[in-house]
Amino acid sequence: MSLPRTFFEALLLAVLGLLLGLLVNHRLVLAASSGHLTQVPAAQALQSHLPQPVLLDEVRELLRSGALPVDARDTSLYADGHLPGALSLPLGEVETGLPHFRQKVASARTLVIYCNGYGCPDSFDLGMRLLSEGFSDVRVFEGGFPEWRDAGLTVATGAK
Amino acid sequence: MKRSGRISYHLCRLLLGGVFTWAGAIKALDVPAFAGQVAAYQLLPYAWNYALAAMLPYVELLAGLLLLVNVRVRSAALLTILLNGVFIAALFSVLIRGLNIDCGCFGPDAGTTPLQAIGRDLVLLAMGVAVYRQQPRYSAITSPVEF
Repeated sequence: MSLPRTFFEALLLAVLGLLLGLLVNHRLVLAASSGHLTQVPAAQALQSHLPQPVLLDEVRELLRSGALPVDARDTSLYADGHLPGALSLPLGEVETGLPHFRQKVASARTLVIYCNGYGCPDSFDLGMRLLSEGFSDVRVFEGGFPEWRDAGLTVATGAK
Repeated sequence: MKRSGRISYHLCRLLLGGVFTWAGAIKALDVPAFAGQVAAYQLLPYAWNYALAAMLPYVELLAGLLLLVNVRVRSAALLTILLNGVFIAALFSVLIRGLNIDCGCFGPDAGTTPLQAIGRDLVLLAMGVAVYRQQPRYSAITSPVEF
């Protein structure tokens, strides 16, 4: 079989694979392209005591009205870049970080927790923990730092 | 036709097919996690990471499975060569930009550095070239399925 024919067949296989993937995951891709959530069903969260999922636009609105962003990632990632005004509370260090967090943050304050987006569960897990610790208004920004950064919004750097 | 040549050809084909099938399957089973791995490369906008993560595993799966079942082997081998070329280019861009990330080649927890991944992809690339070049000589079953 000649190279052009083989090349054409290889491209055809690639297109077939791409279409197959799109067919299987079309809901996920559509949700991501329209900025909707892919991990935490909003209705499910509303019906139970789970952290409330919020989209990027809502996050911006909440932060304008005084909500506190909370970064659930490692401190090194936080230092590389985080949402302006965010407090660092890595899920892995929650036991040691929580007392200090309690001192600084009122339990009634709206918290917007984020991590690395794309199915990163840390923000949700930290949200559950903070709810159980008595914080009453806990939201999870599932798109996380990547969506914030890729939207061209201001990014702060440096350690806490 | 040397027997050792035939054996090494089929070993390369099966190994390459197995690796691509395995890599594709792991990613296809957890698309959001793979999207996170793609996002770490910082090459695409937010939603496109999801789109690529949704589609790429199935291209890998298709190429791998065809190699395994010995059907359209030359085209599948060429596809793996093209894919490895793209992977290596993306990994080099990571090295050049100094990003400290896991390559995401075999799912979220594989823990491979970009340099290790480039080495592995070069081996896979060489295997793909070998299968592509040797297929007309050694393939016992010559493309039972015609497009």
